[in-house]
Amino acid sequence: MSKRLVTEAGAFALMAMMPLFFGGNAYGMGLLTLVTIYAIALIGLDVTVGYLGQVNLGQAAFMALGAYAAGLATMSLGWSMAPALLAAVLVGLIAGAFLALPALRLEGPQFALATLSFASLVVILLNELESVTNGAQGLSLVRPLLFGVKLGPTGFYWTCLGLLALLWLGMRNLLSSHWGRSFEALRDSPIATDAVGLSVYGRKVAAFALGSSLGALAGGLYAFDFQYLQPDGFRYDQMVILLLGVVLGGRKSLWGAFLGAGLIVLLPNLLSSRPVFETIAAVGLLVSLVAAWQRRGDPGGLPFQAVAPVVATGLMVLGGFFVQSLEDWRKAVFALILFAVVVGLPEGVMGYVGRTLARLFRVRRQPLPEPADLNDVLPIEADRGAVRLAVRGLSCRFGGLIALAELDLEVQTGEIHGLIGPNGSGKSTAINVISGLYPAAAGVVVLDGKVLPGGSLTRAARAGIARTFQNLQLFLELTALENVMVALRHVYRLPLPLIMAGFGRREEAAARAEALALLTLVGLGGYAGVKAADLPYGTQRFLEIARALACRPRLLILDEPAAGLSSPDIKALVGIMGRIHERRIPVILIEHHMDIVARLCDRVTVLDGGKVIASGTPEEIQNHPEVIRAYLGTIAGDRASAAVTEAQPC
Amino acid sequence: MQWMIIGQMAVSGAAMGFVYALVAYGFQMTYATSKSINFGQGELVMVSAFISLSASDMGLPYGLVVPVGLLSGAALGLFVERVAVRFALAQKGEGWILMTIIVGLFAVSAAENIWGKDERPFPTPISRESLDLGGGISVTPVELSVAFGVVLVMVLVEIFRRRTLLGKAVDAVSADRDAAELMGISATSAIAISYALSGAVAALAGILVAPITSVGPTMAATLILKAFSVAVVAGLQSGSGVAVVGISLGVLESLASFYLGSGWRETPGLVLLILALALRPNGIFGTATIRKV
Repeated sequence: MSKRLVTEAGAFALMAMMPLFFGGNAYGMGLLTLVTIYAIALIGLDVTVGYLGQVNLGQAAFMALGAYAAGLATMSLGWSMAPALLAAVLVGLIAGAFLALPALRLEGPQFALATLSFASLVVILLNELESVTNGAQGLSLVRPLLFGVKLGPTGFYWTCLGLLALLWLGMRNLLSSHWGRSFEALRDSPIATDAVGLSVYGRKVAAFALGSSLGALAGGLYAFDFQYLQPDGFRYDQMVILLLGVVLGGRKSLWGAFLGAGLIVLLPNLLSSRPVFETIAAVGLLVSLVAAWQRRGDPGGLPFQAVAPVVATGLMVLGGFFVQSLEDWRKAVFALILFAVVVGLPEGVMGYVGRTLARLFRVRRQPLPEPADLNDVLPIEADRGAVRLAVRGLSCRFGGLIALAELDLEVQTGEIHGLIGPNGSGKSTAINVISGLYPAAAGVVVLDGKVLPGGSLTRAARAGIARTFQNLQLFLELTALENVMVALRHVYRLPLPLIMAGFGRREEAAARAEALALLTLVGLGGYAGVKAADLPYGTQRFLEIARALACRPRLLILDEPAAGLSSPDIKALVGIMGRIHERRIPVILIEHHMDIVARLCDRVTVLDGGKVIASGTPEEIQNHPEVIRAYLGTIAGDRASAAVTEAQPC
Repeated sequence: MQWMIIGQMAVSGAAMGFVYALVAYGFQMTYATSKSINFGQGELVMVSAFISLSASDMGLPYGLVVPVGLLSGAALGLFVERVAVRFALAQKGEGWILMTIIVGLFAVSAAENIWGKDERPFPTPISRESLDLGGGISVTPVELSVAFGVVLVMVLVEIFRRRTLLGKAVDAVSADRDAAELMGISATSAIAISYALSGAVAALAGILVAPITSVGPTMAATLILKAFSVAVVAGLQSGSGVAVVGISLGVLESLASFYLGSGWRETPGLVLLILALALRPNGIFGTATIRKV
């Protein structure tokens, strides 16, 4: 058993024993139950707020939907607890998907606004559908039986705690799997996530629906806990409280959600006692003063991050002296605490604790597996000389500018096809259209005899086109190994429920071995555990190539892989290209270094002004008068162009 | 008879629609410069209205109450930018959403304690006597003043943007922040200016709507939701689009509350919003941008 599992089991055992201390105290038991219920809702909310990085203002509404679904299922249909809770989860899943389908096409403020509007709509519906929900008067219900057993306060608490433990395990399995990694990848570079063929949108919708269903489950439990529901209990204030929990506790952390739940349940009680409030305020002020003191040497004066928490906690201390009734200022106190935490500890309490623990105890890295056999990871192409890619009459326009005019291009298996031309000649536009980033104005791209749909990076990637980017698009916060693992689509096949149930480990091991084999191919075997952001520039370019290879491409497009490389790195690149060539993977290579083009390419197509001006073997191209003119302009007479030909490095 | 009621509903709905449009216009301003909006804008509307009410209670004439309200709105806008937005924008995240919500939460609590939780009437020299427009449709001068004030301020802001150097600087930051900074324009100041303007616009919305709704800590809670809807439905890039969508929404709402019952008043806005999100996520008047690599 790992240390982590021991800690978690210990914490849950402790929580389970709590009724022994509080057993007779109904109030204490109520608070404990509420902590577990909120923890479930917050774990769900953290999926969008933490992992998808979007501000979700709809979780209170999902709690409301779940609460009413469970409540009505027991009161109107006479269902027992388990099916009623299942109904709540289903309602949450469906409503979550319904909201996520349009809303997740949006980002940032629009997403927040969409969820906020959804939340208001839900409260209006619950208030107005009086015949079903009893409207603003509220709905009273009786806690139903669970598998024929009548649950008292302690039994119900254990039920909630058990559910929380199950969900905790499931979410941890999910978030440490390919799913969690693809969310982080998405945050770092949405374009690259599309380019490796992950259906980002689909995953986001699924994750949002899952998070919403947890909110609905919490709502169902809430209904059976209080046995009375009112639509107004799930308004804006409740939503702010939920967000407060996630942010205070710490995003992207199960412990954070748990801690946040504890805080939002206990804070109102703590604030009702003046001495406790004053102690909290004083400790907060002291901590933020110490933090500000540590940053006194910062250039440009004390940063906002140091000053703001001091002001906020200082206001709390002052308030403690002057304010008559703290209860009246409850929201303001909440706001000040939140403000101090959001500014001073942007990662939340658990984020800070986690970082400190990681500094104190060195985390042991998972040992690397043996790399997989390259012939299994990237089989050598069998068919020789067949046409892999055929581009016919491809055009692309930006407003009035014709960036690409009727491009024809063929690439065969085993061929490295050079695409060259002066700056602005349409090379990048050509591969952006072929790889689906831009829609084509006219023409078709045919891969393996099938016409590509066009205009979608993801679909082109799924059809087998993998590419690198001239301006690097790495997942900077992931390690080199993880960058490659994200792209290993063919390894990850298990559906979401099985991953949550913990069956994903075998896939994970296989992916690590395959990713290592690909890293070794590009000479990065020794960098597997290094964060992509910390890699040297040249190495980052090679990592992009490894990631593109992980897609098992039918066609590989390299966009200026040698740009900005030092000469030893260029040698390494030529070596990598040679190894790719050995596996007979067809490549389109955009490059400015003529010596590389001459050495590596079997055929070359030259673009100028969006049109093909020449194509043929590198030797033919080098002496082509049009090409020389395009690169160097016309100088009077043959003498000049002869001199120019000699000056060319190729 | 039927058409007369619909016409009357449309006229009184349009008055509110102008206010939605004005608040949404304020969102559009800050979104242009900084891709952020103040989620506590409703609280800003409310606090500015309370400050104007206090100014009026102190015996200031209406002609001075309005500038006091506008200035306090601008000051509050600057405060929100400094406290909640600048730091969060520097962190390159959506932190400002949360931060502006927090500032709004504080404002509600402060307003409840300073001015009390009760709704209070807002004095105005403008008459509330109905004017007959003919055909049985009538309008009050207060409603007319709302429309007039909204159009006036939108025109003024457009002139500021197009004709003054400062306005052009703000526009330059909206168009391309990096390029503007290379030309020596401080993006931070431009964003601050846009927040001040947006705050003043919100304050004006508060002053104009207060005689109709009365002033209280929750006066803007529903107003702001609709302004959000208007901003998203019209698209956060389009200034003129918000006027069209805002007024239509006001009319639709008024009709919905008449035919479906007052509880359903807010539904058209929300349904419109969800439809717009599903069909045109960038807004009716918005444009999709090309992804660059």
